[in-house]
Amino acid sequence: MSKYYPTIGLEMHCEGSETKSKVFSPAKNEYSAIPNENVVAIDMGFPGILPVVNKEAVRMSIMMSSILHCRIPEYMYFERKNYYYPDLPKGYQITQNPPEECVGNGGYIDIERDDGTTFRVDIDNLHLEEDAARSTHFLNTTTINYNRAGAPLFELVTKPCLHSANDAVLFLEYMRSIYQYCGISEADAKKGQIRCDVNISISDDENTLGTKVEMKNVNSFYAVRDAINFEIQRQCDLKDAGRYDEVVQETRRWDEESVSTITMRSKEDALDYKYFVEPNIPKFKISPEWVKEIQASIPELPYERKEKYINKFGLTPLNAKKLIKTKEISDYFEECIKLGIDPKEAGNWINENIIAYMNKNELEITEIYLTPKMLKFILDNFNSGKISSKQAKEIFNKVLDEKKEPSNFISKENAQISDANELGKIIDDIINSNPTQVEQYRNGKDRVFDFFVGQVMKSTRGKANPVITKELLQKKLNK
Amino acid sequence: MKYMNLSIEELHKLLKKGEVTSKDLIKESLELSHEVQEKYNAFVTILDDAKETEVTDNLLSGIPFGVKDNYSTKGVLSTGSSNTLKNYVPFFDATGYEKLKNVGAVMVNKTVMDEFGMGGTGTTGHTGTVRNPWDRTRMCAGSSSGSACAVAAGVYPYATGSDTGDSIRKPAAYCGIVGYKPTYGMISRYGLFAFASSLDHLGVLTRNVKDAAIVVDNMKGIDEKDMTSWDSSNIHLADSLDGNIKGKKLCYIKEICNLENYKNPSEELTKHLNNFKDKIDLIRKSGVQVDEVSVDNTLLKAIASTYVIISCAEATSNMSNLTGLSFGPRGKGSNFKEMVKDYRTKGFSTLIKRRFVIGSYVLQRENQERYFKNAQRVRRLLVDEWKKIFREYDAVILPVGTGPAKKLQTDSLDILTEGTEALEEHLQVGNFGGFPSITIPDGFIDGLPVGLNITGNCKTDANVLNIAYGIESLMNYKNQIAKEEK
Amino acid sequence: MGKFTKEMVDDYADKLLIGLTPEENKLVLDEFDVIDKNCDIVNSIPNISSVEPMTQCLDDFEYELREDVAIKSDSIEDLLSNCEEKENREVKLPKVVG
Repeated sequence: MSKYYPTIGLEMHCEGSETKSKVFSPAKNEYSAIPNENVVAIDMGFPGILPVVNKEAVRMSIMMSSILHCRIPEYMYFERKNYYYPDLPKGYQITQNPPEECVGNGGYIDIERDDGTTFRVDIDNLHLEEDAARSTHFLNTTTINYNRAGAPLFELVTKPCLHSANDAVLFLEYMRSIYQYCGISEADAKKGQIRCDVNISISDDENTLGTKVEMKNVNSFYAVRDAINFEIQRQCDLKDAGRYDEVVQETRRWDEESVSTITMRSKEDALDYKYFVEPNIPKFKISPEWVKEIQASIPELPYERKEKYINKFGLTPLNAKKLIKTKEISDYFEECIKLGIDPKEAGNWINENIIAYMNKNELEITEIYLTPKMLKFILDNFNSGKISSKQAKEIFNKVLDEKKEPSNFISKENAQISDANELGKIIDDIINSNPTQVEQYRNGKDRVFDFFVGQVMKSTRGKANPVITKELLQKKLNK
Repeated sequence: MKYMNLSIEELHKLLKKGEVTSKDLIKESLELSHEVQEKYNAFVTILDDAKETEVTDNLLSGIPFGVKDNYSTKGVLSTGSSNTLKNYVPFFDATGYEKLKNVGAVMVNKTVMDEFGMGGTGTTGHTGTVRNPWDRTRMCAGSSSGSACAVAAGVYPYATGSDTGDSIRKPAAYCGIVGYKPTYGMISRYGLFAFASSLDHLGVLTRNVKDAAIVVDNMKGIDEKDMTSWDSSNIHLADSLDGNIKGKKLCYIKEICNLENYKNPSEELTKHLNNFKDKIDLIRKSGVQVDEVSVDNTLLKAIASTYVIISCAEATSNMSNLTGLSFGPRGKGSNFKEMVKDYRTKGFSTLIKRRFVIGSYVLQRENQERYFKNAQRVRRLLVDEWKKIFREYDAVILPVGTGPAKKLQTDSLDILTEGTEALEEHLQVGNFGGFPSITIPDGFIDGLPVGLNITGNCKTDANVLNIAYGIESLMNYKNQIAKEEK
Repeated sequence: MGKFTKEMVDDYADKLLIGLTPEENKLVLDEFDVIDKNCDIVNSIPNISSVEPMTQCLDDFEYELREDVAIKSDSIEDLLSNCEEKENREVKLPKVVG
């Protein structure tokens, strides 16, 4: 792209959608289409309310901290981040600060690129905090819905250690899948459960850092890629033009419509959040036993599953990689294996047919009608020769389209003829009634073989097992 | 008909015997409320439709009481004596109040306070100044001004209060009654409008120590809505009172109590400290050991600033929820910022606004170390100093304030002046450490009551109350009702 | 040392979304002066910076965290009963920009 060296740092916010209640209030933590449906007094900051920490949210934060190889503090506490904004009912957000006191401090995670190389992302900190309310903007008014206010939010802050938009997105995708694999979040960007801030600077070489520009509220991974590339280009252009002094330390906003970044506020206007310890939450001890228990419960993570698919199941790295893309797909695959489907066969079917169907119909794997059990039924029939591969594919589509059990589409009438005796009789009849073609074949005209196959198919209305048909034909014609 | 001058136990007996009904008591209390309102302006709301309750074995059942207006009370106006919440009717109860309601206690009014508890004069509430029932030209102190006034005037046997610096214990002294703030977290803070969360306590104002024990027995308890609350089910305050204080060890701090420390002491101060020493002699005669101890003057001088810095910092954050958007009257303006600024500028009193600015200043990144963090450090040093004393003594006994209730003046109230002495502010250490602390009346100066305070180590509430109970019985100020000379 | 000035007082007040009269501004400065002098005394305490700031009353760390159980929501009538401007089930404001 240019002669300059870009450096990127990320802040990834992930909403913990999988707790039952909010992080500091016992209100239901659930997406609702009805505004202010999951709200108690605490979430709106009424006078006299107090926060009470949700154990499950803390457990999740300790699990993430462990996965990221962070240092977990002996005691945990929270701080208040004070600022006024319409979506912040108390006038402060309960969060964690400074980094060394957060549930995760330091740490790293290794990320794999498509070409098989890996890179390490250094983690500054991971902290647990509460989400803000949701504002909806109309022509002249804004309305506030507190359903989301107080939902657990995990904020992951990396060191400025990334150097390309691709790596940044790979890291974010992998972190998203970890949140999903651990049952912490659906991590659905469409639902606003993933939000990112991006810091970017460029420099002449890797030993120096340029002026850092922050971009707030980049809300999809596509946008992260575009925003990074746009901002690097903007800074490089200015530097090339000898106007690098125009790159100032500031906060910019990624504007999806204009596909560009726009100044929000300069460093001078940066808010002083006046952090101080939240007095209503006493420091509490995180026992080493609890940490151990949580660490022992970390589920198999995507890269571990991928290794298993390659080494144990003999899948190609590409197929294995596709299967771990989401936890749901991977779980579906593992369910297939559990049912006894051959791993390669299951992998191929999922990666080729199921994912194509999902993409075409914009469905998640959990939303499709075909279960691993149904897939096994179809494949069993195929493997026993009862149906052809073409039929298997047809039945697969019918199951999905008509939402009916596959057994509805396998009957005696359309079952494949794999019985050698039955096929043998049909073949004998065809050989006897086509002496000219038999003569041609035996004189070396190989192409005539296809004529015989065609005749068998014609007389069985396509139900003859093609493999067996070919075997028998060869045997009988070569006699 | 005159029952409201009686103690809780006396009233309970009469109710049980059927000599009086809950309805009678409420009627009397409401009539007195209106009288006291007329004279002293003690109430934000008088609940004329308060309903009698069934008299059970609980000592508080059927008996009227008052609630400070910073307690959230479901369906009843709760203003915190602030224009910012002048129409606010909560839909949930403060735990401390709910527990009293659940045992059949009857709230008959909401009492005036210094706005949101910030202030010690009873002059900053949005409904005006509360006057002292012993002399209406004087203040009640604050911030539980209305509660102290009403209990002293005999409207009911008790009213709830809250105490962040001395807001129960100072007005109790100025009004000649008992004010008790139990150990931090013994009563849940849920539903108490937060002023400075790390210093806020709930408590009660009564006319005798036993009543204070009875009320707090009914208010305390661990609450799942307040993480800082703790299980005190093994503490039975009223049952622990036996008045046997022989052999107890108390101490006073010489830097605070000795007259010779003060240059040109006023006549009032002289009388107040002499009275205190007389009472110490009386206590010694009853078999209690009272020693004189010394505390570093630098620390004592820092109490007031430490308190102001910490309380202002926490308050400015705690009251950031007051924007007038989802509750409170909407400010005027064409955008969010203008609206909120208009609401806050009009809604808060001068005192509060000043304190917010100071609180915000000390929290600024570049100032935190020098001001806020250092204040928190001095807080620890002071608490350690007191805890050191508690290793040897059951409690510290000290005079409250520099004398009786001060004259009401419009200027210079509540401004921290350079002459502020440890004597005026030492009760704040009880909030720094969360110590159980009780003020009882200990005499009169020129016809106006004065008080002394007993403060012990955390969770030794039963012992502290028993000492107060014993000392109370050595003097003649129990159950006194305020009366004006003129 | 960065002492408090009249302009700073007004700036802080504005950030707190409150307005001050000139008299109120002056009172802040006067009161602050006293606090500042006291802070000079505090800073003279030997080794003050080595003391752990005390942020809460009780140094007791055995607290139970809340089990993850959701309770019933408060009713929309209650939640918005003190709100002067609402639209359907939400709090209404002038349009928030930026």
